[in-house]
Amino acid sequence: MSSGDSVAQVQTAQIKPAGSLAPSQSAYLPGEAYDEMFAAGGVTRPHYELLRHRIETLGADELEDRQETLERSFLLQGITFTVYGAESSTERIIPTDLFPRIIPANEWSTIEKGLTQRLRALNMFLADIYGDQRILMDGVIPRDLVLGAPSFRRQMQHLYVPHKAYANVCGSDLIRGTDGAFYVLEDNLRVPSGVSYMLANRDASRRTFPGTFRQAGVRPVERYPDLLLATLKSMSSEWRSNPQVVVLTPGVYNSAYYEHAYLARLMGVPLLEGRDLVVHDNMVYMRTTNGLRRVDVIYRRVDDDFIDPLSFRRDSSLGAAGLFNAYRAGNVVICNAPGTGVADDKAVYAYVPDIIRYYLGEDAILPNVETYLCREPSQLSHVLSNLDKYVVKAVGASGGYGMLVGPHASAKERADFAEAVKADPCNYIAQPTIQLSTAPCLVDGAMEPRHVDLRPFILSGDKIVVTPGALTRVALKRGSLVVNSSQGGGSKDTWVLADDADMAALDDAAAKPAGGRP
Amino acid sequence: MMLARVADSLYWIGRYVERAEHLSRLAVVMLNANLDRTDAAAQAAQIALAAVGDPDPTRAAQVLQSAHDLALDKEDTGSVLISLSRARENARQVRDQITTETWERLNLLYLRVTDPGVEEEFADDAAGFLQAIIADLHLFKGAADATMSHGEGWRFMLTGIYIERAQLMARLLEVCFSDAARPATGDHIALMSLLRMACALEPYLRVYTADINPRFILEFLLFDEDFPRSIRFSTERIEEHLAHLSRRLEGERADALRLAGRLNARLKYADADEVEAAGAGSLLSAVADECAAIHEAMYETFVAYPLELSLPA
Repeated sequence: MSSGDSVAQVQTAQIKPAGSLAPSQSAYLPGEAYDEMFAAGGVTRPHYELLRHRIETLGADELEDRQETLERSFLLQGITFTVYGAESSTERIIPTDLFPRIIPANEWSTIEKGLTQRLRALNMFLADIYGDQRILMDGVIPRDLVLGAPSFRRQMQHLYVPHKAYANVCGSDLIRGTDGAFYVLEDNLRVPSGVSYMLANRDASRRTFPGTFRQAGVRPVERYPDLLLATLKSMSSEWRSNPQVVVLTPGVYNSAYYEHAYLARLMGVPLLEGRDLVVHDNMVYMRTTNGLRRVDVIYRRVDDDFIDPLSFRRDSSLGAAGLFNAYRAGNVVICNAPGTGVADDKAVYAYVPDIIRYYLGEDAILPNVETYLCREPSQLSHVLSNLDKYVVKAVGASGGYGMLVGPHASAKERADFAEAVKADPCNYIAQPTIQLSTAPCLVDGAMEPRHVDLRPFILSGDKIVVTPGALTRVALKRGSLVVNSSQGGGSKDTWVLADDADMAALDDAAAKPAGGRP
Repeated sequence: MMLARVADSLYWIGRYVERAEHLSRLAVVMLNANLDRTDAAAQAAQIALAAVGDPDPTRAAQVLQSAHDLALDKEDTGSVLISLSRARENARQVRDQITTETWERLNLLYLRVTDPGVEEEFADDAAGFLQAIIADLHLFKGAADATMSHGEGWRFMLTGIYIERAQLMARLLEVCFSDAARPATGDHIALMSLLRMACALEPYLRVYTADINPRFILEFLLFDEDFPRSIRFSTERIEEHLAHLSRRLEGERADALRLAGRLNARLKYADADEVEAAGAGSLLSAVADECAAIHEAMYETFVAYPLELSLPA
C-alpha cells in the first residue's frame, strides 16, 4: 500500500479495462497524444489508479447500465438542448461520458495560479483600454488591433466599473499538449457557459463511482452558485449592501437556457427576460405581481449587442431600452461588463503574455499556444506557404465555425481558404495543429481514448476565485479534435484532487464532531 | 414578490394540468362505458364530447377514435397532449420557481406523451395509458403540494387549477342539466358515468348511498362543501387564494378578489330548490362567465397592469 502511489503498477496498454469485455472489442490504444490516464508503456498514472481498479471490477454490463441511468436522469431533469428538425423538434441531452477526468493537486495548483494571474491582467487591460489606454501609448499592442476589434465598445470609455472587475465570470479553454503541459487556447470573457454541466456531471459521477469519489479526495465544486452570488453582490457593495441580483436570459429557446434557470434557482434569484425589465429615469425595475421593484445587479447571459436597443443593436428585443444608460449612471451593474470581448479577441490573444508582463511584471504561468497574426505580412506569408500544418481561425468567429484545420483539409479547401485570408488578412490568425490530450471514454461498451480540453471557471469581483473543478469537453468522434457541443462534442466530470494538506484539513474536520470539545 | 410573467406562467401550468387531467378522465370513462354494448355507452360518449364542445353524434359513435383524439391529437388545442406540452413549456419558462421534484413529474408526463412509441402504447391499452397519466398528474400535484413553498407562486398555480376546474365542471353539468325540462339522461349507467367523469362516484356514494338520482348528482357537484371537484369547493378556493394574493393591493385594484367573492357567495348561499325549479342553466353559465371575468381581472391586476400606477412619483 505504501508504495502504491509512487511505484505504479505496470499495466500494458492492451489491458481490457473492464474485466468482462468481450475479447473482440478493441483494446485501449492511446495515440501519439498525451493520455490523461496512461503514461508511456501503458503504465497507469498514479492518480488514476483507484479509478482503473474500480472500472475493472465493475465490468462492461454494469458500466452500460450506469451510463443509461445517467442519461435518463439528465433527460428527466431537462438538461437538454433542442434539435429543430423539418417537422418537429426533439430534445437531446448533451452526450456525457461516465469516466471522470482526474487532475492531481500539483498540476491544479499551477493551473489555478496561472488562471488567476491571467484574469488579473486581463481585467487591468480592460480597465486600461476603456480608460487612459496607456498600453496603446506605450506601443505594446497595435492601436488599430484593439480599437478596430469588432468587440471593442466605445460606449464603455471612462465608465466606472467596481473593483475594475470587468469579466466577473470567465471560462478559459485549456488544452494539454504532447509535452504534458497545459496551454491556454482561448479566453472566454463574454458570456461563458458550461458551468451547469460541470455541476450536473459532478452529481452524476458521484452517483456512478461513490466509493472511488470518496477515497480519491476530490475537491468540491458545489459552492460555485454561492460564490457566484457573492461575486455579483460584491459588484454593488459600494452603494448597496443587500442588492437585488437577477439573471437575465434571452429566453427558453436559447441553447443554454437550462443553465440560466439552473443558476438562478441555485442562487435563489429571479430569472428575467428582457420583457420583465422596465427602465425609468435611469433606474432599472422588474415587473412583479405587486408593482415595480428595483434591480441592482444583472448577471446577463445575453450578448453585448442585444442588451439595450438604444445603445447597441437596434433590432434587439432581448434586452431593455435604456439599460445601458442606467448602467452609465451607476444605478445598476451589468455583469460581465459590456465590451469584455475585446480581451478575448483571437488577435489580442496573441498579446496576452505581453499584457501580463506589462501590467504585472511577471511571465505568464500558463503559456499561450504559438499564434501567427496574418495581419503581419511576414507571418502571413509563412502561414500561407504552410497551410497544411496550421489551424487557421477567423478572429471574430467562435464555436468551431469559420476555421480551417490544415492537415485535415483538402487541397481545394486550403486554396479557397487562402484566398479568403489574403482578401482580409487582419481577420485571421493561425496556430499549429495541437494534439489535444486524450482521456478514456466509454464508447459502445469499451474504453477508448478521445481528445479532451478543459474549461475551468474563474470568478472575479472584489477578489478572484478559481473553482476547483472544470468542464472537460470531449470530441466524441475518434481522432477528432473539435470539442464544441455545437459540433458533436460531449463532456465529462473533472476531478481535481486535494493535496495532502487539503486532505488533512478535511480529515480533521470530519474527525471532530461539530462544536464538540476536543 | 414574484415576477409578473412568472406568476402568469404558474397560473397557466395550473390550468393546463387540470385540463389534461379532466380530458384524460373523460376519455377513460368513454372507453370503459364502451365495453358495455348498451345505449348508455353512447350516452356517456355524447356527454363527454358535448362537454368538450363537440356534440356531433357521429363522433360519439366512434368512441375509440374520439378518445384517441381527446388524448393525442396534435392539431386540436383541446387534447391531453397539447395541454401537457403547454404546461411543460410554461414550467420550463419558470424552471427556477418550481422545485425539481415538481418539475420532474411534469417533464416525465411530457416525455411520455411525446414519446415516438406513444401511438402504439395507446393502441395497446388506451384506458391503462390514460389512467397512468391521471395517476402521474396526481403525483405532480402531490409533489407541488409537498415540496413547493405555499407562497405566492403556488397560489397562482392553484388559482389556475381551480378556475379551470370550476369552468370544466360547469360545462359538464350544463350538458346534462341546463334544460330542466329535458334532462340529458335518466339512465342509471349513464349517470354513473357522469359521476365518474367528475371523479365523484365514490364520494357521492358515501353521501347519498347508491341512490343515483339526477337531482342529488347536481346538488353534489354544484354545492358540496367538501368534495374537491364540486363547483362550490372550487370557488371557495379561488376566493381564498385571491384573498392572499390581493393582500397588498389597494381597493380598486382588487377587482379579481371582488369577483371571486361574489361568485363564491352565489354558490355558498344558493338555494338548491330554487335552482332545481328554475333549471341549473343560468347558474352554470354564470359560473363559466364569472370565471372568465376573474381570469381577465387577474391578468389586468397582476400581469399587464399599467406602469403609471407603479412608477415612483
